[in-house]
Amino acid sequence: MSVASPPVVRLQRTGMTRLRREGAIAPICAFVVFLLVYIVINPELLTRFQLQTAANLVVPLALVALGQLLVVLVGGIDISIGAVMSLCNVVFATQLENVPPPVALLLAVGVGLACGLFNGFLVAYGGLPAIAVTLASAFIFGSLAREVLDRPGGGVTKEIYLATSGELVPFLPVSLVWLSVVAVLLWLLLQRTALGRHIYGVGSSMESVRAAGIDARLTKLLAFGLAGMVTSAGAVMLAASTVTGDPRSGDAYLLSSIAAVALAGAAFTGGRGSIIGTVLAACTLGLIGNLLFFAGVNSYWQYVISALIIFTVVGLPVVWARTTSALKGIRS
Amino acid sequence: MTDARIGAAAPAAPVPAAPPDGSPPAVDALLVATDLVKSYGPVHAVQGVSFRCNPGEVLALVGENGAGKSTVAKMLAGAVPPTSGSIVVGGRPLASGSVRQSRQSGVRCAFQELALVPDWTVAENLSLPDGAPYRGFSQRKSVVAAAELLGAFDLPHIDPQVTVGTLSLADRQLVEIARALAGRPSLLILDEASSALTPPGVAWLFQRIRDLTSDGGSVIYVSHRLGEIAEIADRGAVLRDGKVVGEFVRGGWTDDQLVSLMAGREAARFFPAPPARTTDAVALEVTNLRSDGVHGIDLVLGAGEILGIGGLQGHGQAELLRSLFGAAPATADSWSIAGRPVSGTTPVRSVRHGIGYVPEDRKREGLALEMSVGENLLVPWFRAYQLGGRPRITRERTWIDGVLGALSVRTRGPDERAGTLSGGNQQKLVFGRWMDRARTVILLHDPTRGIDVRAKQELYAAIVDLAEQGVGILWFSTEVEELVHVCHRVAVLYQGAVIDELVGERLTGDAVVGASMGLRAAA
Amino acid sequence: MTVRDAPATHSPVATGRPPRSTSVRHVAARVPRSIWPLVAFLVLFGIGGLIRPNLVTIDSLIGTATFAIILAIASFGQTVAVIQAGIDLSVPNTIAFSALAFLGLAGPLGPTGAFVAALLTGAVIGFLNGVVIAKLGLTPIVTTIAMNGLLFGVILLVFNFSELTAIPEFVIGITSAKVSVFGLEMAAVLLLGLALMGVLQLVLSFTGWGRSLFVVGSAAEAARLGGLPVDRIRVVGYVVSGVLAAFAGIVIVGYYQQASATMGASYLLSSVAAVVIGGASIFGGRGSVVGTVGGALVLAQVSTLVAVLNLGANIQQLIYGVIILLVVSLYGRSATT
Repeated sequence: MSVASPPVVRLQRTGMTRLRREGAIAPICAFVVFLLVYIVINPELLTRFQLQTAANLVVPLALVALGQLLVVLVGGIDISIGAVMSLCNVVFATQLENVPPPVALLLAVGVGLACGLFNGFLVAYGGLPAIAVTLASAFIFGSLAREVLDRPGGGVTKEIYLATSGELVPFLPVSLVWLSVVAVLLWLLLQRTALGRHIYGVGSSMESVRAAGIDARLTKLLAFGLAGMVTSAGAVMLAASTVTGDPRSGDAYLLSSIAAVALAGAAFTGGRGSIIGTVLAACTLGLIGNLLFFAGVNSYWQYVISALIIFTVVGLPVVWARTTSALKGIRS
Repeated sequence: MTDARIGAAAPAAPVPAAPPDGSPPAVDALLVATDLVKSYGPVHAVQGVSFRCNPGEVLALVGENGAGKSTVAKMLAGAVPPTSGSIVVGGRPLASGSVRQSRQSGVRCAFQELALVPDWTVAENLSLPDGAPYRGFSQRKSVVAAAELLGAFDLPHIDPQVTVGTLSLADRQLVEIARALAGRPSLLILDEASSALTPPGVAWLFQRIRDLTSDGGSVIYVSHRLGEIAEIADRGAVLRDGKVVGEFVRGGWTDDQLVSLMAGREAARFFPAPPARTTDAVALEVTNLRSDGVHGIDLVLGAGEILGIGGLQGHGQAELLRSLFGAAPATADSWSIAGRPVSGTTPVRSVRHGIGYVPEDRKREGLALEMSVGENLLVPWFRAYQLGGRPRITRERTWIDGVLGALSVRTRGPDERAGTLSGGNQQKLVFGRWMDRARTVILLHDPTRGIDVRAKQELYAAIVDLAEQGVGILWFSTEVEELVHVCHRVAVLYQGAVIDELVGERLTGDAVVGASMGLRAAA
Repeated sequence: MTVRDAPATHSPVATGRPPRSTSVRHVAARVPRSIWPLVAFLVLFGIGGLIRPNLVTIDSLIGTATFAIILAIASFGQTVAVIQAGIDLSVPNTIAFSALAFLGLAGPLGPTGAFVAALLTGAVIGFLNGVVIAKLGLTPIVTTIAMNGLLFGVILLVFNFSELTAIPEFVIGITSAKVSVFGLEMAAVLLLGLALMGVLQLVLSFTGWGRSLFVVGSAAEAARLGGLPVDRIRVVGYVVSGVLAAFAGIVIVGYYQQASATMGASYLLSSVAAVVIGGASIFGGRGSVVGTVGGALVLAQVSTLVAVLNLGANIQQLIYGVIILLVVSLYGRSATT
């Protein structure tokens, strides 16, 4: 049939188009530049030890950022994501003392799911603003985390560390493998299932999705639940790589996960954002401190530089679009 | 409920009759709607609408904007649950408020406000609503399926891989209709589905409708375009103010009868004449105005003149008004406001230059619904360093009361929340803020859309009043009658440019409609 | 909530003239937003009295209020940001930055000069936030998070941790010094905070800028098409936010007499919490500084009760969360759903 052949050719193009549409080009470019600079300044990155350290540093952030991305895709924002991370982190660490590791992992993921569903239910079925709901749950989950474990501790063992944060084969840190597994599964879900496309659609236009007969509320709820699970994976990775459970370990990830999603070019109104962009944005932000250390710069600069990168990468396309449209207006 | 049948015997006189029984014998009606009511807070959008639709029939629902047609269509489609009443499709009651279940019962709707997700591709928009959420989704398969579907419906020019947001309004409407047709529905609801279509597009639509009805499917055709209804509808019901005020059958009606039913008898066709012009002063002049969607428009608007802007939706009218107000970037070869040359404008500067703008969407663009009636009137006149809030309202009380009185705004006073007013009264606020404020030009974007007849009359009077005071009025309207009767002159836009300017004898309804289809009438 | 639904029962009657109504319901509909949190505070205060009758004393009230007013001062800037449909997550490090700058500059510039300079840094921070948000169109949440991070870096780079300069007298004079009002001893900061509240509420309610800020927050597009200089109003709003946060930094330094790079961290979420409990809409267009003081009082009273009952800091946070949820579900529903 004649219609069947041309799309196959054009499908290659859509991969690129989609990346552009989802805002991933800028963060990918930023990451490539960053990586080149990094390798020039510190070629040692490519040694086994440094690769492993760097991977263990960025993987939890990348996972939490993916969780944040899911919520942002449906037009929300998750202020409680740091608290969810802390809670899952301590649940995992403490349960390791009582149950076998796989069960502890399941428990942590289950807690993440429950947290996500709690937020999602109030947002999707309660019609409440995500920012306010998750502000409240940030207090609630945070206090639960400190109830579970009030100071750093828990039963994370060396074996757990090796299984999550060691090396699979030389030059291949296990944590990167786990991150890839989660990211690929998530990518399959978002791009290759109807539910995934619904998630994008809900963020793009809630009304249209409803009018098309899709259960928009359920989609939103599931996105929140999924976000909780992905966040819990980040929490487990963090607990394992630091070999400890810490009820405040997630706090720092609230702001940095939002920063990573912003750097990934996602639209905070929903419907736009890519997995690869988010992962690379998280890598960029996570490694700035390292880079500065090796460059011999006071590592406090990392905070300043991260902010400037975000302003530049997120702001440039806006300025660019504005100037081109202004120019077009004059030319036409 | 009064039920006026237009037909051979009873022209316009109301004939009391039991509601749906007047229609042709319908043993196995496909759809029976009984006493549908929908209220949004104090607003009764639909109050007791009953009708039935037989298999293989095209039933028209006609009425003016705001008569409740769209709400009825949405209730049938499951997008809006009725406050009360029942809908029976094929002998089984329709689950209310679930588009999915409506679709499964074979009821599909192409909505007026397009229900396509802008960030999805055409293929995704066509295929996603039908799949179960937990099934896999293949871009490739969906593209192939979409290409086949579009080919089968004779729409090969639409690329299934492009994002819907980048399509033209007309193409989006075609995709929306194609999606509704895709499931071979037993009942297809078309809610103003032709509003952005070109004449060939309308012909395409009618061919699809005939295909469907010849297979025994039914169509509910919601529109206020009488020409199309004359061509396609077998039967029809006239809605006004949320009620069925009459029914008609093919060939048994004239435009005039239908129009007076739609408008309401006592108010039918009452339009004030534009005031005689007393000055030749020019309020606004622009040559070769260019902007996104506006391709070189020349305009001269005299002081005290009412210049109508016509054309189909999406042909640059909104962009023209926004450009003139400075809300969208635009350039022009020359541009002057009240004789003063300007190089461009911004909303802030426009207000200072004496321009006022009544935007399209009063809820989003016109009013701060959380704030009071008085403050909404005062929005353009807030100055950072001056008083605001209650003391300002007290000080401006005379002006506020004057505006509210002149427009007969139904409100409990300047402290009432603007969000609690009805649509017509909200529209009056957006309009009223520019009254008695030394304006030279007022830009109106379809101010009478979706408001009741009485509010319309009051707005007409206010517009004519302003023109009498020497204000130049630029008025885009989707109601051809308004343009023909209340304007001095009408410029019809087609594809972002003025295709024809109608004045005097040439200013007729047919000429406006013809020009908006891209046909330039012979001079 | 009855107040929201009240107009629904009223069907507008076609009368030529708008009726001038000052019915009780009408008055009630105007008042509650900023009053509810105060009522909630009094209820909590009463509950405290039931549990421990010795809690119901003027001194206890003043103690709680003092604690609350500091949080409230830190949340005033947040209130202004939320009213214009934004949010200011750079409050924590603006507080720290201004506090440290104030202490650092008190030597070279003198207390007054340092005071002015610290407020100026707040203004600059707010200005940058505002310009990026209004002109570049970045989301407020992202902009202010990035700004917060940037400030943290600057703080670490510029100020040494060991910097413990003596606190200038006049700051102590307006914060922790005891003053006597009608024979009641209280910290000066309480009066300062209440005075600031009064001034801000007047500005927000009764000036053109204040009302424009509400219009922008309620419907930015309507404000723009009404000819308001939306960008300027936004930027000025963030400048005011920044100055208020900087002022809060000085007040905190004066009251607690210590400063550190992380001294603002706890205000990140609690300033938003106070604003939300104070009845502001997170979507903008609604909120008041009186309400924010009420919200801060509620939070402070919870913390007092938790301390008295010896429940621990965790339970306090849990209760904060539950209160926010309650408040949000009472009147935080978005207009569209």
